[in-house]
Amino acid sequence: MTKSHIPAVPGAATLSKEKPLSPAVAVIPCEDHNNLLGATSQLRQLMPALLPSVLPRHVVIKPNLCDITAWETGVTTDPSWLPVLTAELRSIRSDVEITVVESDAVSAYKTYRSCDETFDRLGYRSVARECGVNLVNLSNAEAIEISFKDVPYAVSVPMLLLEEFFFVSIANLKVHPYERMTATLKNSLGLLTNADISAFHPYLSTMISQLHTLCTPDLCIVDGRIGLEGSGPIIGDPVRMDTLIFSNDALAADVTACKLMMVPPEEVPHLRQVAGDLGRSFSGFQTIGDLHPRRFAFDPSRGHRSILLKFANRRFHRASELFTNLLVDRFIRFKREPVAFATQAIPKIARRLTRG
Amino acid sequence: MDRLRIGIVGAGPVAERYHMPAIRGVPEVRATAVVDTDADRARHFADRYGFPLWTTQLAELGGTVDVVVVALPNGLHASVSCELLSHGIHVLCEKPMARNITECQSMVDAAKRGGAKLCIGHNRRFRTNLRLLKQLLEKGLIGDIVRVDAEEGSKVDWPRSSAYFDPVRSGGGSLMDVGIHSIDLVRWFAGEFRQVEYSGNATPSVVESDAELRFTLANGAQGKLTTSRSRELNKQIRITGTEGFAEVGLWGDNLRIRSNKGKAFQHFRHLDAYVSRRPAADVSFVLQLGNLVNAIRGIERVLVDGEEGMAAVDVVCRAYGVAAVAPVLHAGVSVGPR
Repeated sequence: MTKSHIPAVPGAATLSKEKPLSPAVAVIPCEDHNNLLGATSQLRQLMPALLPSVLPRHVVIKPNLCDITAWETGVTTDPSWLPVLTAELRSIRSDVEITVVESDAVSAYKTYRSCDETFDRLGYRSVARECGVNLVNLSNAEAIEISFKDVPYAVSVPMLLLEEFFFVSIANLKVHPYERMTATLKNSLGLLTNADISAFHPYLSTMISQLHTLCTPDLCIVDGRIGLEGSGPIIGDPVRMDTLIFSNDALAADVTACKLMMVPPEEVPHLRQVAGDLGRSFSGFQTIGDLHPRRFAFDPSRGHRSILLKFANRRFHRASELFTNLLVDRFIRFKREPVAFATQAIPKIARRLTRG
Repeated sequence: MDRLRIGIVGAGPVAERYHMPAIRGVPEVRATAVVDTDADRARHFADRYGFPLWTTQLAELGGTVDVVVVALPNGLHASVSCELLSHGIHVLCEKPMARNITECQSMVDAAKRGGAKLCIGHNRRFRTNLRLLKQLLEKGLIGDIVRVDAEEGSKVDWPRSSAYFDPVRSGGGSLMDVGIHSIDLVRWFAGEFRQVEYSGNATPSVVESDAELRFTLANGAQGKLTTSRSRELNKQIRITGTEGFAEVGLWGDNLRIRSNKGKAFQHFRHLDAYVSRRPAADVSFVLQLGNLVNAIRGIERVLVDGEEGMAAVDVVCRAYGVAAVAPVLHAGVSVGPR
């Protein structure tokens, strides 16, 4: 996949014209957890530019449904967001089609979680019916396999990403054993159709960064009414934070979430990766509203360091496996067709080495 | 259900390299008989690949097989296929279907007469990347198609019989042999050819090694097809639409797409479908035979039937500017509007 630095996408640029020019964040207090509507009204008054003034026909909402557990645990996204967002989006465009997406998952404890069961048991099915919203299990949707730079496995993403849509990411405020914290950027991992993404864990930062480029959220919501401290991302204790973070930029939203959790963004590998890939720093965005930070207890399991070592070991093994495959392939080709190899492959390798 | 008894007519490199692995990959068929005019070759092929019967006479196949792969020089496709089809034996005939429209029509008629299925070996329609592209085009990913450019050329080849280079016995050179794959794919992706303009280096006694076909499609899209047996060319088709483009490999598994409106293309210039470092063997021949078996069993329809094969040959014949009745010598430039 090649990343473009040229804004040569006239069609896709239509939406960005309506956005504020620079990344912006609105921090909205939400002490009454049942008053999401009030919070969005407050957002409209404080920073109306964060909400779109025009919408394409299709809006995709990605909640964080990484486990079958109620939203009050701080692990998953509250389904009450659906009626609030639906009303807001339909006030902008009445015929908008709204789809909520999530995929199946195999947890770190190797238990399988069906997305459809999650939709049912967390109340998404009934709320979606009331709001006229589609629920899509991406693991059952049409997919395309693509390659990400520096990730030595095929990545299966839904064909949905090839269509035009406005993307809303609703994330939680949580600690994470490998990444220190997780919010909007890591929420996009749920766009992968693979249920088991453990093979990607050693490449998590680069995966998250490239997924962000592939499917950039247009509206980021970090639901910090209740956060999760402890081990994360599904193990830990809920923390009442009474804060909602809205942004038009995932990096800005997550950096603000870091500040709220008192986690230095520099300690979060995927934030470093995304900022580096985008050529940005952790500052340089406008923030409206006051943060009331609280240091989140981070209790990585005893095996945290050994997990990181295991990941490094896996990366090394995969790289050496690929290198060996390459050598074996070339040797077989040379043995089979020495003339063709000499006239085609050797000059190609020489050119590559010269360029390198 | 009983397994279908399959035979091969023409025990040459195409049968050996492509059709034998396909037969092994489709458990619903059982290798039964092989026919070749060269008795030694037929016997050797049968011994090597476990065919219980071998013969030099096509007529001896009667009653022993249900479906036959015809992998013969182009000039024999029609006569052999008609013989088999008229006896109710299903046929998978290698591409090109035949040398001209008359021969193609006779095959279609024979299939109808005998109540048999006829499948033409445009196996590339079964390649993973090309099927994916077809799916994406049907979704309108790149908008309306405005241009198609196809290239395929290689110096690498296996030993060919003299029939391949004889204009009368082969019906054509690189356009008929190699280019017909792209012609079939362009028709599949973008619709019928309206106007064609051909140039090539054929002589009265030898078919062309290099050919160029400029064309206009029924939807108004224009394009160019370049084929060669003497030069290395990109093996790919590039389709340009009003909303983007797609580039697809004809030999490899690559597929590159670009759409002006898709979410994934807001920041990425284009998207490459995954290309395995160690690609699996080409399964298009397996899927092609599977498609014919399913069609025989009434599960699906033949993807490339006689009509489809004939339409591709029609484009080549119009390009060569030959009469529909018999292949004639062709050289230089001709224009063949429909």
